[in-house]
Amino acid sequence: MSRGFASNYRLVLLAVGIIACFGGVGARLVQLHVIDREALVAGIEKARWRIDIEKARRGDILDRNGSILATSRSMLVLQVDPQVLRPEDEHKWPELAQIIEMPFDEMARIFRTKTRPVKKAPTTETNTAQPRFTGLKTENVAEADEENADLDDAVADNGERLIRWAKLRDEITETTYAKIEALGIKGVYGTRVYRRAYPHKTLAAHIVGFVNKEGVPAFGIENYADFYLRGRDGWREGERDGKGREVAQFRTREVPASDGYSVTLSIDATIQHIVEQELAYIAATYAPQKATIIVSDPQTGFILALGNYPTFDLNAYNKIPKGEEHVMRNVAITDIYEPGSVFKIVAAAAAENEKMIKPGMRFDCSITHIDYLGRSRRLPGEDHRFDEPLTVADIVAKSSNRGAVQLALLVGQDRFYEYARAFGFGQVTGFPSGAEENGILAAPGTRGWDGLTITRMPIGHAVAATPLQMHMAMGVIASGGLLLRPQVIREIRDAGGETVYRYGPAVKSRVISEATARTMRKYLQGVPVSGTGKAAAIPNYEVAGKTGSTQKIIDGRYSSQHHVASFVGFFPASRPQVAISVIIDDADPLKGRYASGGLVAAPSFKRIGEQLIQYLDIKPVYEAGDSNIVMGGIHR
Amino acid sequence: MNFSSNHGFVNQLLVYTLVMIGFSGSIGLGTVWMRHQISVTANSNKQLDARIAMVERHLAETITAAESERDTRVLLRRNAEWNLGLVAPTHGQIVRLGEDPVMRLAAKRNAGLFGDTAPQTAAVYLPLARR
Repeated sequence: MSRGFASNYRLVLLAVGIIACFGGVGARLVQLHVIDREALVAGIEKARWRIDIEKARRGDILDRNGSILATSRSMLVLQVDPQVLRPEDEHKWPELAQIIEMPFDEMARIFRTKTRPVKKAPTTETNTAQPRFTGLKTENVAEADEENADLDDAVADNGERLIRWAKLRDEITETTYAKIEALGIKGVYGTRVYRRAYPHKTLAAHIVGFVNKEGVPAFGIENYADFYLRGRDGWREGERDGKGREVAQFRTREVPASDGYSVTLSIDATIQHIVEQELAYIAATYAPQKATIIVSDPQTGFILALGNYPTFDLNAYNKIPKGEEHVMRNVAITDIYEPGSVFKIVAAAAAENEKMIKPGMRFDCSITHIDYLGRSRRLPGEDHRFDEPLTVADIVAKSSNRGAVQLALLVGQDRFYEYARAFGFGQVTGFPSGAEENGILAAPGTRGWDGLTITRMPIGHAVAATPLQMHMAMGVIASGGLLLRPQVIREIRDAGGETVYRYGPAVKSRVISEATARTMRKYLQGVPVSGTGKAAAIPNYEVAGKTGSTQKIIDGRYSSQHHVASFVGFFPASRPQVAISVIIDDADPLKGRYASGGLVAAPSFKRIGEQLIQYLDIKPVYEAGDSNIVMGGIHR
Repeated sequence: MNFSSNHGFVNQLLVYTLVMIGFSGSIGLGTVWMRHQISVTANSNKQLDARIAMVERHLAETITAAESERDTRVLLRRNAEWNLGLVAPTHGQIVRLGEDPVMRLAAKRNAGLFGDTAPQTAAVYLPLARR
């Protein structure tokens, strides 16, 4: 072999050179990856590491048929970086102003204001809103944020701080934003946020509640079921490039967002609409201070509709004038009233359940005083004169005050109180929405119970209840003697539509026997037939219910001008399918008559009932033989 | 080739070094290509995610708009605006039957078909013609 070029010396030198080069590279790699690793990685991570929060979508609130009562939709907050705006885009500004429905002058002023004084308080319109925005960000926003961070302290030549962010408009829809993007104005960008939308506006406003712009659920189901609805935000840990964009392949950890569960209510949007239409009619006709209508299934306690007057638009909660915030109160559970004659069902049911009523027993309702526990008690006055002694059925149907008191006295004040308590008065019903009132129910022997109480409480005075408490108390008779917890949530579903939890009827206690409930239903059937609630009668249907007309206490005295009128009932009486309560506070009746329950509330019961018969396909039920309703001439 | 001499050893070393460089280069190029593909795939996934999210956002917006249009008040307004004249049946218009309505309607339709009962003569009045 010729030695040629490859002399020993040269070959060794070449080999050493190559090995030295590799050695040098290797040494440098060791230095970078082992010795200086910590310092270098820390610096790189600081510059490139990022965490993106992925907002979970809040679940929907649906009615029992799947209609959406509350949903989340993506909207954009439109912003501008005045430093990035280009002069060649100025001719597009008028079109942008038109798209976002903003006066051009105002928009141009924002665009041209490029600095602000350094000492200016950081609560100006242009720089306060940003921290409140949450949600998914667009790519260009991430880029802009990066620049903002870098230039946060940038100061212009005149010593003022540079404005890198100014809000143009809230709540831009995706469709509108697509048009804005098409304009291609550099420096105008949007930040995506989830905003709550209520497609049916005022429908079931007091039940559904709302989420404010900070994402805080204010009240109603939005607040009560927030745990299920809100979901769990996800996050991504990764790196960003020089322009602040995420480098997708360097995602190191990723926790996907879990969207919130959907809550299906027992509310039926159609029934709710019927109720709210009736409330609108009541408001237009009687100009009441407030009114409440509740419709429920008495066998399960599920609320089918609950409406209050006045009400409000859930999408415009922030436009309610100062001092008018009371319209947001769910008066069905937050306000109490003296139930008046409707409360007589407690005295009658108690006497019946205690087997104090003997067949053919009659009560003299013309007496003005009665002895009880060794003292003569003055009985309350009557609206009508009763010359003949009345049966229990007559006392209920004709709403005799003195008769009801005598029934309560038969039971005794302690047992009567226990029955009132068992019917649910003086305690919260457990309704899953809002701050519920206990009502007022004094116990014998306490400060609230005086010598007159036993003669006033049986007729619904000296006691106060929420409309829902009264509704559920009537439900005891309709359900066959059970006090049920009023429920409004039917089921919880996950984001995939699978049922996570289904609510069933919740029985709180048995109040009266089934036989007593059956007897009470017969008594209450007399009210629309021959009693005080004739306007509630529905042809061919057995309606059971009770009217109530309570004088309001104005300046510490019962007023003869201001009343709370109510009709609480259910039908068909022998197999109740719907319970309806109509409570109207301070109605102004036509033709100067006083606003009694029979005059203003009972007709509403009938109108709602007739519509429900069609909608729910409620068939008339006639009991064989002894149905006095059918025989009594109302059957047409 | 003489493998025992120095030259042989150096030649061998050079050959192996060149082979190693070539092999390492191939591995390096392969790694770079693979990382590029990972990057392309990751970006493609990211874009797909973004598109899915965009479609979902548009879907949510459309569903909300559709639900708003399904509101009973809106439907009633449309009914009035478009003069559709649709009305819900009133309670008085409903007749509840105690028998099978199919049989009743069939009997009504077939009455007189087989000569069991004579068809009723229709009486037509023209009030305007009498004037």
